[in-house]
Amino acid sequence: MQAAVLEISALVLGIFLLLCEAFAGALDKRRLAYGGIFGLGLILLASFFVTAGPLQPDAVGFWSFYAADPLALFFKRFALATTMLVLIMMLESAPRIQSGLGEFFALPIFTCAGLMWMASAIDFVMIFVSLELVTMSFYVLVAYTRRNPVTLEAGVKYLILSALSTGFLVYGITWVFGVTGETSLARVAAAFSQPNLERAPALFGAVLILVGLGFKIAAVPFQIWVADVYQGAPTAVTAYLSVGSKAAGFVVLLRVLSAFFILPQVQRLLVAVAIATLIYGNLAALPQTNLKRLLGYSSIAHAGYLLVGVVSFSGAAVGFYLVSYLLMTLLSFTVLIVVANSAGGEEISDFDGLSKRSPFLALAMMISMLSLAGVPFTAGFFGKFMVFDAAIQQHQTALVVVAVVTVACGFYYYLKVIRAMYWESPARAAPIAFSQLSRVTMTGLMIAIITLGVYPQPILRALSDASHPVTAQR
Amino acid sequence: MVTLGDYLLVSGLLFTIGFAGVMLRRNIIIIFMSLELMLNAANLSLVAFSRFRVQPDGLPNYHAQVFVFFIITVAAAEVAVGLAIIVALYRARRTTHVEDIATLKF
Repeated sequence: MQAAVLEISALVLGIFLLLCEAFAGALDKRRLAYGGIFGLGLILLASFFVTAGPLQPDAVGFWSFYAADPLALFFKRFALATTMLVLIMMLESAPRIQSGLGEFFALPIFTCAGLMWMASAIDFVMIFVSLELVTMSFYVLVAYTRRNPVTLEAGVKYLILSALSTGFLVYGITWVFGVTGETSLARVAAAFSQPNLERAPALFGAVLILVGLGFKIAAVPFQIWVADVYQGAPTAVTAYLSVGSKAAGFVVLLRVLSAFFILPQVQRLLVAVAIATLIYGNLAALPQTNLKRLLGYSSIAHAGYLLVGVVSFSGAAVGFYLVSYLLMTLLSFTVLIVVANSAGGEEISDFDGLSKRSPFLALAMMISMLSLAGVPFTAGFFGKFMVFDAAIQQHQTALVVVAVVTVACGFYYYLKVIRAMYWESPARAAPIAFSQLSRVTMTGLMIAIITLGVYPQPILRALSDASHPVTAQR
Repeated sequence: MVTLGDYLLVSGLLFTIGFAGVMLRRNIIIIFMSLELMLNAANLSLVAFSRFRVQPDGLPNYHAQVFVFFIITVAAAEVAVGLAIIVALYRARRTTHVEDIATLKF
């Protein structure tokens, strides 16, 4: 079975759900979400039966745009799992959506198709189109509760800054094309290693492309949109944005950089960006009192750790870090949705005394916060460990020192949440209600975080043959 | 004779005007127009590169021209979604000026 079947079935599923929404008038809209979760589960199952193979250097037509290598397959499964979990979170936050609930459940499935295409894109045209498919569905999702002025404001900010980054990306691609005459990453890499390459315009194009991708992964100095958009968007969308969009950005970055690292200046530039991202993300998170905003800054910090893995050329470390990041971020956002549904706000003070009102939720939040901080025996610890290990092997000592110092800084703001839950007294005593599906999901995520913290081998094995994003292309 | 450099100069100017517009203007509609200008700068230089990078058989490099069609299509979709969001914002706030949109601290 060809790997492209996965994206096409996701598109068909999305259209099918939209048609159901339009023609089955009295349908309970929540059923669409269950249908979406079930359909994506089937596609996830099917992904284990597609043929993955090394890249074909002489492929023509569509197959010169599309790679079905192990790295791509791994991130396709990642996108599918993320979307399923996000749909569960959307179900939990459904009471807050005033209108258009059916489309709210159908849109993430189109985003998922875009994320899967991004994982496979090996041509600048494909990268651009799939990136825009993802971004454009996020424009709608971020501004979804459009009667809420804060959400709308977040939507406009996301729109302007994303479109700006697209402008940079496209202009950069233009210049790379002008120098090399190619849009395919493998052929661009070959042209970049020619001795008679015109360095200045090639570097100009490469830097513009990196600026464009830097916006998507929220690296400093292109992070200004993150905190506002994360705070304003519906919480389930924020989770999707911070996991799905970021993971896809990093896959594209890994593939693009394998062509660009032939230019020596690019790596030095990225080390500087990684250091700035680490310091900014962690320091700006310190004074936050709104948990959603805090998680926004923490996601900038995590982009910094991921960049450390990227400059150390370690696809495996980046992949493992993203998996652990998926588990702990989605767990914390699920708890946040449930608590915000009952408290009406997302401040850290709304978590005061959560351990007395709902020990289960407090435990879930504690595990995700400990994992985000990087405490041993959690998945987050192994993710950081692997990234630092890769950086030490590349002799990036300064980078590792900065990263370790910022980890210590991270402990402060993550533990602030735990302190509020366990040491403060609750403002009210009412227990918090949430669905059985969410309880099962949270339990699963908790078990996965702890399991990967002690026994990371399954993911490492899945990543072992995916760690060289482009060796087959050369 | 118009050279490749002339086209690139105009396209660079367009890109700069667009970027300056995004940074300096205060009306969201104008900012959005400037964003489209940046995309069109890329289109212009792509077509110029395509025309001047003649392949061995004497034809222009059509990769770039096909890419231009993709950019035009995506830009159109972006305008559709973007204007819808801006209209929704205007209905809620009765303004399209960035100074008035500061509920979330920047």
